Amino acid sequence: MTTSKSVRLIHRSAILQIAIVMAGWLAGEVLVRLLGLPIPGSVAGFAIILALLVTRRLSATAMRRGAGVFLSDLLLLFMPATLAVLDHQEFLGLAGLKVLFVILGSTVAVMLVTGLTVDLCYRWRIGNAGPTRQSR
Amino acid sequence: MPALPANLVELLLHTAAWSALTIAAYWISKRLYRRWPRWWLSPLAVTPILIAAVMLSLHVSYQDYLHSTKWLLALLGPAIVAFAIPIYERRTLICRHWPVLLIGMLAGTATAIGSSWALATLVGFDGAMRLSLLPRSISTPFAVEVSGEIGGVPELTAIFVVITGIVGGLIGDILLSRIPCASALARGSLFGVGAHGAGTARAQQIGDTEGAVAGLVMVLVGLMNVVAAPLIVALLR
Repeated sequence: MTTSKSVRLIHRSAILQIAIVMAGWLAGEVLVRLLGLPIPGSVAGFAIILALLVTRRLSATAMRRGAGVFLSDLLLLFMPATLAVLDHQEFLGLAGLKVLFVILGSTVAVMLVTGLTVDLCYRWRIGNAGPTRQSR
Repeated sequence: MPALPANLVELLLHTAAWSALTIAAYWISKRLYRRWPRWWLSPLAVTPILIAAVMLSLHVSYQDYLHSTKWLLALLGPAIVAFAIPIYERRTLICRHWPVLLIGMLAGTATAIGSSWALATLVGFDGAMRLSLLPRSISTPFAVEVSGEIGGVPELTAIFVVITGIVGGLIGDILLSRIPCASALARGSLFGVGAHGAGTARAQQIGDTEGAVAGLVMVLVGLMNVVAAPLIVALLR
């Protein structure tokens, strides 16, 4: 991003923006392998891009559309993994029902606790700080 | 993998065919859900059923299917990187309310581990099976790491993570229509802490702020669990 011309090109081209996101991911993977960090490469890449944004070495406009391509259909990327259940016939019987019971019960608990805790704390802070901007 | 396609052309054809089927199934279920927005018509539930129906009728194993579609899964890596942008754009909201998010993540993580342990014990699971269930609410790469660390079976944990994603995406909607979660912060963290990537995808559909919050807490809760794994081991011993 040396000249304003190349900046404008990046702001327009979704393909170039996707390439920037991919480059961030690649940098993360390389960093994790080189340093032997116990975190996924994608998280290191996330941290690298976030750091570049915060230090203003990279502008959000240069990546907004590229990031949108990945985030708008996130569920699709997750789909191949869901079919793994077919490979575990041992969960078709009683064991499967037990697993489902544990996961269902625990997920309801986690979501209730998290949602209500955050909402209560948020309202308490907003209440104490006076009428500030509502998030939505 | 003995059923590997013998040559490159076959590999490319398989990849094209199964990827096209996956994308088509996803597209169809998205249209269905837009037309009739019922929780049991959620793309998260309908897409796998459509794909499974084709796989079972053609006697294709999961390994073969995965071999042709794993490039989609690999894109989850750059997708996590992509979350840096919406999170950066909401930095004022997140910076102002980080203590709230932190308390929510701590409470959620403690509940995830505690309730998994308690319910698994209740139905008579013990040993590696029970341990494999503990990290199931966090994103796969973290969950696999934590599972191995605390003495679970990473492969089983990966399956439980997927089931959590499907279940969480569905019940998150049901819960949100019944409990008072007025702020986008609360809605986003409910999905991000409770159902990792699948929940985050669902939150993204509800709103951009919900999606950004969910993406942030998903990544942070995953990191939190990796850091806390030795502590969990110490508590269980």
